[in-house]
Amino acid sequence: MPSPHEPPPPPSTPVGPSFPASVARIYDLSFGQMLWSRRTVFMVLVVGGPVAVALMLRLLVSMDLFDAGGEIDGRPVNIDGPTIFGLMIWGFYLSFSVPLLGVFYGTSLIADEVEDRTITYLFTRPVPRGAVLVGKYLAYLVCAGLLVLPSVVLVFFLVVPLLGGSVGAGFPDLLKDLALLAVGLAVYGALFALVGALFKRPLLTGLVFIFGWEPVVIMVPGYMKRFTVSYYLQGLVPHAMPEDGGVTSLVLRVLQANEILPSATVGLVGLAVIVIGGLALAVRLVERREYVLEQ
Amino acid sequence: MTAPVVAADHLSKWYGQVIGLNDVSVEVGPGITGLLGPNGAGKSTLLKLVTGQLKPSKGGVRVLGEPIWGNPPLFFRLGFCPEQDAFYERMTGMEWVTALVGLNGLSESAAAEAARSALDTVDLLDAADRKIGGYSKGMRQRVKLAQAIAHDPELLVLDEPLAGMDPIARRKVIRLIKDRAARGRSVLVSSHILHEIEAMTATILLMHNGRILAEGNIHTIRDLIDEHPHQVRVRASDPRGLARGLIAHDDVLKLQFEDGAVVLETDRPDAFYGRLTEAAATGALGEIHEVSSPDDNLQAVFDYLVK
Repeated sequence: MPSPHEPPPPPSTPVGPSFPASVARIYDLSFGQMLWSRRTVFMVLVVGGPVAVALMLRLLVSMDLFDAGGEIDGRPVNIDGPTIFGLMIWGFYLSFSVPLLGVFYGTSLIADEVEDRTITYLFTRPVPRGAVLVGKYLAYLVCAGLLVLPSVVLVFFLVVPLLGGSVGAGFPDLLKDLALLAVGLAVYGALFALVGALFKRPLLTGLVFIFGWEPVVIMVPGYMKRFTVSYYLQGLVPHAMPEDGGVTSLVLRVLQANEILPSATVGLVGLAVIVIGGLALAVRLVERREYVLEQ
Repeated sequence: MTAPVVAADHLSKWYGQVIGLNDVSVEVGPGITGLLGPNGAGKSTLLKLVTGQLKPSKGGVRVLGEPIWGNPPLFFRLGFCPEQDAFYERMTGMEWVTALVGLNGLSESAAAEAARSALDTVDLLDAADRKIGGYSKGMRQRVKLAQAIAHDPELLVLDEPLAGMDPIARRKVIRLIKDRAARGRSVLVSSHILHEIEAMTATILLMHNGRILAEGNIHTIRDLIDEHPHQVRVRASDPRGLARGLIAHDDVLKLQFEDGAVVLETDRPDAFYGRLTEAAATGALGEIHEVSSPDDNLQAVFDYLVK
């Protein structure tokens, strides 16, 4: 009969769950926490902004208070629903909501667990630390997608039919826009997951990047704009920008004059590099870093 | 000789300029080992190193024969109940423990079964479907313990596990810890309240200022403090008569009266106890009701060692 202090029989350590299985478990654990967090309430307000604008626009049009015609540089400009929708996709979502979601969620993937001192429970289980990061990143993607994409669909149906626009004709663009926004969420999330793993004040760093670095550098001729996400995202913008003297064509000319738009291929490759490289580096950092919790 | 469950070799940990643990070399054997020391002694740092949360600044630590840092599979064999009162507050106890034990690779049903069993063990099954945010402090301590034992680890590491528990829950947890040891599992448990540890084990490590001050059986540690006076409290029918009889011997250094009792200090406990036993048997110094020694509990030992 074994003595009370005899060590238990298993002589060796079993093999842990695979990386993908660990990621799936962490995703299951994190998704609900993320979706019902205070941060999500704030983000609902952020993505609710364009919907409110769309409603207001619709109201103005219905009351004949919105003039779709006008002149820019002496040339006639006609704005229709799809054009406004295209501008909102770029102006509201790709330039503001998506980067902001990326910053707020991406930088906090591990930081929140550290701040709440719950990281201990995840890091004392037989799962690779990198799987914790990737699982939480996937939870972010789904959570942010659930916030942004319905907002875009709502805006589409509110705005596109205005001023002679056609929902049916614009629907393929909606699908492309949704895909583009999903890509944007993935890229910004991966980038800021890396920022979160690298810096002690990742939120501030992220905000400086999206509201300081990106808008300035993107307008500067030369290679610097290649160090922004929006440069590569622009290559994937699906909206036709016809040479009709409208606002969008004017914007297009300005962008092209500054050599801002890359090709779709360059855009895709650049974004893939950011996602894969950012996540891989973040995983490596999290695996090696120790997290000292505040007492 | 039995292999140690934890082996630290010149283990040090610095937080910037602050020393958390200073050149600790120690081997923790199977069974229950108590880690004692005041707040800031380095207990939590040692436990975080033992559970692979921190990387040693110098030296190394092996757990169950393997290095722990960067070795996630070892957590199959290790359970950890941290000190901090931190949870996913919106989850129920059942959901939380199931999710965490699920990270050990168990299927959903197996994880749920393990969680249910662990919650039952800590007497929390009735509250398993309530949100953790609504738990009392004692319940939160117990659900934390449940997640640590749910996968039946070989080594259970507990950081201040009894904090906030009511006396009945304390007694149950202490019994649980002893039961695990009886089943061949090992437990490393920290506390700054010495009678808690005393109730669990006689094998202790005393920590102070990031160092192991003393280790081994409580009686071994007592030998280390023989030069310190030993305090004895004797409740008697005639404390003054008893005091007169005992003070005549030069091994009694000091005495003071309490209600119905006399408290003495002696530097030769064996000789003193011999005389006292003889006096009690003959009734020469009146009736002796109770003899107790504060030195029999760990608090006195600890106080002596850290003075």
